[in-house]
Amino acid sequence: MKNLIFYIHLNTVKILLLGNEAIAYGALAGEVAVATAYPGTPSTEILETLEEFRDRFVHWATNEKTALEIAYGAAVAGARALVAMKHVGLNVAADPLHSAAYTGVEGGLVVVSADDPWMHSSQNEQDTRWYGLQAYVPVLEPSDPAEAYRYAKTAFELSEKLKHPIILRSVTRVSHVRAPVEVEPPSPPKWGRFSKDISRFNLVPAYARERRKALVEKWGTIGEVSAELMRVEPGGHVTIVTSGVAYNYVKEAVRLLNIDATIIKLGMPVPIPPKIRELVKGTVVVVEEGDPIVETQLRALRLETKGKIDGYFPKYGELNTRKVAEGIAKALDIPYNPPQPPKSPIEAPPRPPVLCPGCPHMGTFYILRLATAGLNPVWSGDIGCYSLGINTGQQDLITHMGSSVGLGMGVAVASKQFVVATVGDSTFYHAVLPQLIDLATKKVPLLVVVMDNAYTAMTGGQPSPSRLIPPEKIAETFGIPAFVIDPADIKTSIEVTKRAVEIVKSGRPVLVVSKRPCVLVATRKARKAGVAIPKYKVEPEKCIGCGICYNLLKCSAIQARPDRKAYIDPALCVGCGMCAEVCPVDAIKGDGARVKWLEVWQQA
Amino acid sequence: MATSLVIVGVGGQGALTLARWIGEAALAAGYDVRIAEIHGMSQRGGSVEVHVRFGKEVYAPIVEEGGADYVVALEAVEALRAYKYLKPSGVLVANKRVIQPPGKWVDPQFVLEAITKSGIKAYVLPCFDIAMELGSPIYENAVMLGAVSKLLNLPMPESLDERNREAFRRGARLVV
Repeated sequence: MKNLIFYIHLNTVKILLLGNEAIAYGALAGEVAVATAYPGTPSTEILETLEEFRDRFVHWATNEKTALEIAYGAAVAGARALVAMKHVGLNVAADPLHSAAYTGVEGGLVVVSADDPWMHSSQNEQDTRWYGLQAYVPVLEPSDPAEAYRYAKTAFELSEKLKHPIILRSVTRVSHVRAPVEVEPPSPPKWGRFSKDISRFNLVPAYARERRKALVEKWGTIGEVSAELMRVEPGGHVTIVTSGVAYNYVKEAVRLLNIDATIIKLGMPVPIPPKIRELVKGTVVVVEEGDPIVETQLRALRLETKGKIDGYFPKYGELNTRKVAEGIAKALDIPYNPPQPPKSPIEAPPRPPVLCPGCPHMGTFYILRLATAGLNPVWSGDIGCYSLGINTGQQDLITHMGSSVGLGMGVAVASKQFVVATVGDSTFYHAVLPQLIDLATKKVPLLVVVMDNAYTAMTGGQPSPSRLIPPEKIAETFGIPAFVIDPADIKTSIEVTKRAVEIVKSGRPVLVVSKRPCVLVATRKARKAGVAIPKYKVEPEKCIGCGICYNLLKCSAIQARPDRKAYIDPALCVGCGMCAEVCPVDAIKGDGARVKWLEVWQQA
Repeated sequence: MATSLVIVGVGGQGALTLARWIGEAALAAGYDVRIAEIHGMSQRGGSVEVHVRFGKEVYAPIVEEGGADYVVALEAVEALRAYKYLKPSGVLVANKRVIQPPGKWVDPQFVLEAITKSGIKAYVLPCFDIAMELGSPIYENAVMLGAVSKLLNLPMPESLDERNREAFRRGARLVV
């Protein structure tokens, strides 16, 4: 990407950009000065792209609420600010979002929320556009990367013109699609200066009531702005109303079905332009990704619709050309025969997501299993790579960011069962800190395990504050005893963790911090620095086929041969040596470079 | 109309890069392009799938089942998994390599025979072996790129470095 930055300083170029990169470049063209985010797929690359621009304030915040607050404050002070998150992150930031609509902003405030229909990497499906209706914040919805670029820029202009926050809603198939985008050079950042306005910026009841009235009035005028972003592609008597990524499937579907339809594409699906009522007669086919939000608003205008509400299009998952063509055909009562795919000659065995070879969490889960043997714990989990502890049966409850300690406390007080709460370092700062205070004040017996790999690893390795503000120091400040272990040192760690388990059994909470950086970051750095990474090998004559390495440690670089003996794929092994530590018959051997490599790795 | 490809492999093999190269070449050849990448939970070691569509006018970023002109597989087990995307007239281009899925040892010979005898037009290519001859498995995707570019009549992407160019040329020679 660095080459691109150089390039576009000279010219306007057309280049294959990821939707998220396009949003970032659109924001740069829109004079963004402050950009914040908490990483989350599919939104992460927006801030990753902006991070390269040192003339702006760009910050990975602890969580989405903090991120939105910083951007909101900047926009209140007249600057142009962007905050990016995934759909579930907007729940965390929902409180300041609602206030932002009441006070409005002086500069531009653009809240990018990336939805993930069919949950490629999320715990639920959610349609961000509901928040637009709920919080009285207009929503722009681009259909592809080129439009994402333009809308990001437009969003700043609109936000500043309306003095109101704007949501830019993306979905996986916009954020993670590459397409040609024409990129202009970035504009200089627009900073600001805070002007006091007591009755506007202090949402105490007396002032807030006045702001509420003003907000409802303003919402009426925003419908006119929405009309400006509506595009009508004239055609026959059939009218299809669409928005966002769904537009693309509509374009392909009308061609497949060979129908002449008038397509109305809404750039701002919340609020819909009331003027749309004058454009259509009879039934409208509505195609949108997510929930029937445009359709619900059209029905409120007393228009007849065929969309998701009556099941013409599926109410869950992503759309595609086939689903859209089928739905339109059904709505118009015309035939459509989709292609029949060929069947695979044999069924491919599943390849579920697994922890990376050498992942420190693999060691931590093994240590925890042995240290809690016989206790039959309830494993209270959280969102992150360590969710994959589900593969060894060590996750029973994973619901949202911060669920580990909060729900774990609930289970522990309700059932008196032994509960292990596992949380990553980034999630620890994101959502667990306040819960830790509750844990400390109430002294609920809970084994909290912070899997501290120093990065927000699942989203590609954004920095976490763990080295500056170590979890064990926080716990000790709160009066919770803390132990630090190294998951690569399995034998010692089991002994230390057993001591922690005894404290929990005596009725008190305890923290175990398992410290070793993300193996992906470490191997990347080692390769650059030319540090040798050892390879481990199985000596087949010694291996007894017990399966501890591939079934219990569950290293994904190790497979069971047909005779049950272990095989280490040399292309996958990253030399952590955990397999050699757990092997009961000493059948796994490294090449001696481990000690040096583990030291380098710990510094990664 | 657009040409639709589904590119599959195992996390870490470079399927995303392969897709980007093909997209870059298609853009240079004057086509409109859409590449839909899947980033998700711990894709390293898991199945990876990327959809590429190019043509005069492209809208939909994803390919539906039965809609792919080509399935390009960097790994043979994943080729079987992606069969459902092929049009009945579609072409499968698969690397000979088998990366063992967790917990179940599959016989590579069995997988490759299933592909060649399936009745679909298939190229089964030694991309991994050639990459190893060139010094590293990281050239696997560039060898595949060479073969696919030949089939699609696309140019070599400009961004390839010299080693990858050599891999590309070796790959192009695999298909006639």
